[in-house]
Amino acid sequence: MMTLTLAWRNLWRNRRRTLITLIAMSFSLMLVQGFHNLSFGVYAQMIDNGVRAGSGHISIYRGDYAVSRDDRLTFVPADLPQKIAALPGVDGVVERLYLPALAQSSRESRGILLTGIDPTAEGLVNPLLRRLDLPALLPSADGRDALIGSRLLQELRLEIGQKFVVTAQGADGELASELLFVRGTVESGIRNIDRSLVMVGRQRAALLAGRPDAVHEIAIMLNRPDESGAVLQRVRALLPPGDLQAIPWDAAMPNLANAIKLDYASQKFIFLVIVAIVSIGVVNTLLMAVMERLPEFGLLLALGASPWRLRAMVLCEALLLGLIAMLLGSALGSLLTWYLTDVGIDLRRFLPESMEFGGVIFDPVLRATWDFEYMLRMAILMPLLAALAAFYPANRAARTAPAVAMRNS
Amino acid sequence: MSLIALRNVTKIYTSGSQHIAALSELSLFIKAGDFAVLAGPSGSGKTTILNMVGALDRPTEGAIAVDGVNYDDLSSRQLADFRLHRIGFIFQSYNLIPVLTAAENAEFTLLLQGIAPAERRARIDELFERLDIAELKNRRPGELSGGQQQRVAIARAIAPKPAVILADEPTANLDSHTAAELLNLMRELNEKEGVTFLFSSHDPQVIAHAKRVVRLRDGQLENDVRQPL
Repeated sequence: MMTLTLAWRNLWRNRRRTLITLIAMSFSLMLVQGFHNLSFGVYAQMIDNGVRAGSGHISIYRGDYAVSRDDRLTFVPADLPQKIAALPGVDGVVERLYLPALAQSSRESRGILLTGIDPTAEGLVNPLLRRLDLPALLPSADGRDALIGSRLLQELRLEIGQKFVVTAQGADGELASELLFVRGTVESGIRNIDRSLVMVGRQRAALLAGRPDAVHEIAIMLNRPDESGAVLQRVRALLPPGDLQAIPWDAAMPNLANAIKLDYASQKFIFLVIVAIVSIGVVNTLLMAVMERLPEFGLLLALGASPWRLRAMVLCEALLLGLIAMLLGSALGSLLTWYLTDVGIDLRRFLPESMEFGGVIFDPVLRATWDFEYMLRMAILMPLLAALAAFYPANRAARTAPAVAMRNS
Repeated sequence: MSLIALRNVTKIYTSGSQHIAALSELSLFIKAGDFAVLAGPSGSGKTTILNMVGALDRPTEGAIAVDGVNYDDLSSRQLADFRLHRIGFIFQSYNLIPVLTAAENAEFTLLLQGIAPAERRARIDELFERLDIAELKNRRPGELSGGQQQRVAIARAIAPKPAVILADEPTANLDSHTAAELLNLMRELNEKEGVTFLFSSHDPQVIAHAKRVVRLRDGQLENDVRQPL
């Protein structure tokens, strides 16, 4: 108890120095917590947008379709989507068929990706189609109505209501063509999508491919993405024997997953630099405090204190410093996160309205999401870091030669 | 049998290529209950003897034993433990811990000894009454006069009931009246409780209060006399 009392009072001998160190530590913790939560929120939003427009939180493919995109790897889902939709934690299930094809208007032709969708189900989950009245634009799954990317519309020099022809290779290897009508446009903000997307009812696409009822992908959306591991197991249990595979979103969309990993790795490096600077500050503060008090350490040794007690005293000072920084920094980190969650950072003044990252559009108003586990981990790191930084100063105190220190008092 | 025994002790300090002999083959024996002063000019070796008797420093040659314990055989950890239980220190500049109150300073060595809080407090209360500083218990050293600080230092030194108290120029920073008061107090502790004191001083007032005066010059014994009081 006396060690703790001594450590606490020693800490406040030089108030200004202690306060400056505390502020540096607390602000660092605030920045690390706040900006991690911002990244966490932005990544979560990007993943959500990405998976809803793309593979879903969980996807089912035949064979290695996720990697090879071999359009022969179709399958007939039968009642699998209904069974999956009934699983706990599942928000929505959509089936899609993808066909590389050629679109021709009376003036131009372009390579496209024809996507066959179930308009009603797709409209509920796909953020690209959220603003469109899908049942009105694509009233049936086998109709000739089509939605096309905004750039493609310009490049084919088409207008709403006009017709165009799509040609694709059928299951038998022969080319097949279908006449379609432009009913609406899709503007994702992603150049590749906007210049190659054509969406039609799934049955119309399947007829063109010569594979009635077939799909390439079942995309499953979840209520809570953090439950994807458990739901994935349940989905796998429903799959019939064969080469159907259920995979998580990061395996189905490696570009997005890798872009996020790379971005977060660079942030972690910055966090590491912040932590290193803080550690140097703590070492400096404690070392100055120890060097100033060498005669006093000599006195304590002369009175019979063991070197270990002196080590414990300096470590105790560091731990107290770390604990205060932990509480203060977490309070500031929570305030910053609250602000970033509620108000966010609006980039619209600096950047174009839609921004692409890893093939996904994200909101230019960046908003944080609470990651309590990470905040707690970083908070606990503060006293540990302070104790680690105190290691050298504590040893320096313990190695004091009492006679020399007393002579210099 | 001597409480303190220095046999042929030599202490050489090295500074760069220079070797300075602070003590040369000095032998000295102090009995239990003595009230002795090491007198002599600066550089005569007074503080060196106190440091070595107090197990703060080791001799270059020779042997030192206090209360039957030979320092040669002890590790630095054991020396710390020895100091804690057998040696009390009083310093010229008091050397109280500035962030602790007077009572906490006096209690510090008892705490290191692992004595229970209630017993610690009882012993400190009694000592502070005897030393006439009971009302100063909760003051920090910065709020005390030199004489008051030295009384607290005496309380700290005698609280753990050591075998010997080593006092390095204890009155050097005090006025003559306060110095006389403290010397009488220490003499009283010596006579009533048999506490052994070994001083270093060149203050005539301290020398006049001592039962035994050991004069040193250039690290050697000049004379050793007992004086009537």
